[in-house]
Order: sequence, then C-alpha cells, then structure tokens
Amino acid sequence: MKKKVIGLIDGQSGNIGSINKAIKDIIKGRPYQLKIIKSHFNYTSFDKIILPGQGAYATLMSNLKKLKIIQPLKKYLNNNSSYLGICVGMQILSDWGYEDKTTRGLGIISGDIKKFRNKKLIIPHMGWNTINLNKDDTIIENNFDKKDFYFVHSYIFQNIKKSDVLAFTLYGKKFPSIVKKGNIYGVQFHPEKSHKHGLNLIKNYILKS
Amino acid sequence: MLKTRIIPCLDVIKNKVVKGVNFKNIRVMGNAVEMAKYYSLSGADELCMLDINASYQNRKTFIKTVESIAKVINIPLTVGGGVSDLSDITDLLNAGADKVSINSAAVKNPKLIRQASLRHGSQCIVVAIDGKRHKNKMKVVIKGGREITKNELITWAKQVQSLGAGEILLTSMDTDGVQNGFDSNMLKKVTSNVGIPVIASGGVGSLEHFYLGHLTKSTGLLAASVFHSRKYKIKTVKKYLSSKGVPVRL
Repeated sequence: MKKKVIGLIDGQSGNIGSINKAIKDIIKGRPYQLKIIKSHFNYTSFDKIILPGQGAYATLMSNLKKLKIIQPLKKYLNNNSSYLGICVGMQILSDWGYEDKTTRGLGIISGDIKKFRNKKLIIPHMGWNTINLNKDDTIIENNFDKKDFYFVHSYIFQNIKKSDVLAFTLYGKKFPSIVKKGNIYGVQFHPEKSHKHGLNLIKNYILKS
Repeated sequence: MLKTRIIPCLDVIKNKVVKGVNFKNIRVMGNAVEMAKYYSLSGADELCMLDINASYQNRKTFIKTVESIAKVINIPLTVGGGVSDLSDITDLLNAGADKVSINSAAVKNPKLIRQASLRHGSQCIVVAIDGKRHKNKMKVVIKGGREITKNELITWAKQVQSLGAGEILLTSMDTDGVQNGFDSNMLKKVTSNVGIPVIASGGVGSLEHFYLGHLTKSTGLLAASVFHSRKYKIKTVKKYLSSKGVPVRL
C-alpha cells in the first residue's frame, strides 16, 4: 500500500520539535511518512500539511516567502487539500493580519487577525482554557467539548463567518479557537503542548480526517 | 475561562533535581527527567526548570537534560538559570524549551529583553525578577538576594513589560524557602502595575497558600518543595483550589 505523505512546514517560527515528535509517535507502524518542508515543494505530493507557528504574523508570512514555500502552499490550499494550521499557522489563513504591521494573509478563510481589545485583560492570553464546540467534527469528537487546551497569543480571528468557526473560547469575549473550511483546519491553541487531549486532536487529524 | 496554572519548579544541577539554600547542604531530590515526566503525567500545567549552577562544564549536561525532558513531556517548559546572552536563549529554545527565563542578565543589560523578544517573540521570553524589601522600599536583587540593585521593583516590572517580556516570574526573597506563604503584598503591587501574566514564586507551604497566591491575581503559582517532598500531589492542590472556586484544569 502506498504510504500517505504528511508535510510538516518549518517556517522558522518557533520550535517544531514537539509537533515533529507527536506526529512521529502517531504514525509509527502505520502507512504514513513524514517529510519536513523547508523550501519550495511539489504540492501534489502531500496528503496532509501541518504548519505550526509562534511569534508574529508578518514574520511567518515573510519567512514563507523567503523560503519559497508560499506559492506551492497557496496552490495546495486553493485545491482544498488537507491542512492543519497551529496558532500563527492558523492565523495566516485569514485575509489580513494587524500585528506589528498590516500584512496580507493567505485569504483562505475570510476575516482579520486583530489584538484582544479589552484593556482589562492580561495579555498574552497564556495558559489553559476551554473550547466550546459549535458542531461535531472528525478531528474534535464530542468528548473534546469543554476540554482545556494550552493557549499563548495576543491576537484573535475577527470578522470571521460563523459557519467557519468549529469551536470558540472565552477570554473577555468569545473568540474562535478552532476554524474549519472544507479540509482546512486551524487551531489557535497548541495541541502539541496540550497533553493528552492535544495529542488526540493531532491523532484524529492525521488518522481520521 | 482561563485556568490558574500550577507550576512545579525543578532546581537542577546537571541532570539532578536538588534542594539547598544558597548552595549549602545541597540535597539530591531525584532525577530531573523522571521527575519532569511524573509531574507532566500528574497534572502540572507547565514545568519550570532552572540551572542553579550554570558553570561551563555543568551546562552541557544541563542542556542535554532539557532535550531529554522536552522529549518526554507535552506541556509547556520554561527554562532559566545562567542565561546571559541571545545565544544562550537560542540554545535553550533549540533544546526544546518553550519559554526562556532571564534574570540577572536582563538587569545588567535590559536591551537583551527587547532583542530576545524581537527575535523569538514575546511569548517565549520570561523575565524572572527577585524582589526584596530594603530600607522600606521594594528592590530588585540578584545573585540569590545577595546583591541589591538600584532598580525599584515596580519600575523594573513595568520596564520589562515595555521591553517586550511576555511574562514575569516574581520571587520574593523575603518569603522564599520559608514556607510561610507567597508574598501577597509584593505580588499584588506587581500584578496591579503590569498587564502581562505574573507567576508567583517563593514561600508555598500549605494548600491555603496557593489560594492566597491566586487572590494576588497571579495567573501562575510556582512551587518546589511541597511537590518534591510529596507533601502535596498536584491533583490535591487543584482539587482544593477548585473547591474554593478557583478555575483550574482538572
């Protein structure tokens, strides 16, 4: 049987060690192989792509450009191929990012990335918080509802269509913690740092979606 | 709702967790990797580890220990101790730390905070501040409290925030190691003057101390001895806090 190919993009935006290890543990003994994407790639040769990101929106976008990843990634996403974006890897699916400077995103899920506006909030939103499911889905079965995941971010997805929000979280107000459009997923939290529920989410994404 | 984080802290020499006051009577509490794994499995929300004797020779083993720990836990890992420049920060992040904590180096060279947060993002730069009362003022101290700096505690806390720190780890040298509770007064002064998360450190001895720590608006509560000595399990602390209405991850 032909192995499914998972691509893990190293956008030089934080450490990919934890997610790399999580994926390897999941696919061990299963018909999958993992390839690290560090430069231009053939988008038709991947079954799934995961992009973790930390730090700033503008930095990740410019890194992806510099590394010549952006063009094949856009083609891949416009094809509605399977994708999981983590934290900033989710945020860049939007139209615009407003961190540091205004930056155009990938424009896959309409909306903008803007800072938490409530002045009374402690920013960054750092720690474990609950996700509330809007609807059931393959990667987040019912038993994920009301479970805690690890967040660390100061910017959130705004002006997003309700139908693109799979789960939301409360911090001052509701914000999208999981987004989905077609086969493209984004999570605002860090599943690779979220203990067993986080690992189960990655596992469901890889094996079930 | 955001949960209050319970953070066990490992004071490490090479690959051993130790306990000792100012390098006197140092006692080995256990193997760092084993203890990290145990805490991750038993409900810690985050783990903190500090190289308390960051000499050139010990450092290599310490970094290897960070690598081994990062491989066996899947909760956030903050690493500090002996961080003096940007390359130390990069080394620790590459070894698998999620956040790096800077202490004396930030006092000596505040620009380091800005440079580090620009390069790696504020979310992974923690500034550890040791505070102590001196002549009716709260001052920043370094070298385990032996050296009092000219920095006023609150001014410094505000400054590290504006320089781009993502979080403050505040240890009161007046309460550390005594197990009479966190320094509520000092913590409240800091949390009411900054808008970034503050982790309370120094002084936990009882369950109530955790609750009092929460009341200071610190979003992380750090403890070492009560966990290493097995006086309390992390679950015990969380159940107690939950019964007092504090949001925790159970």
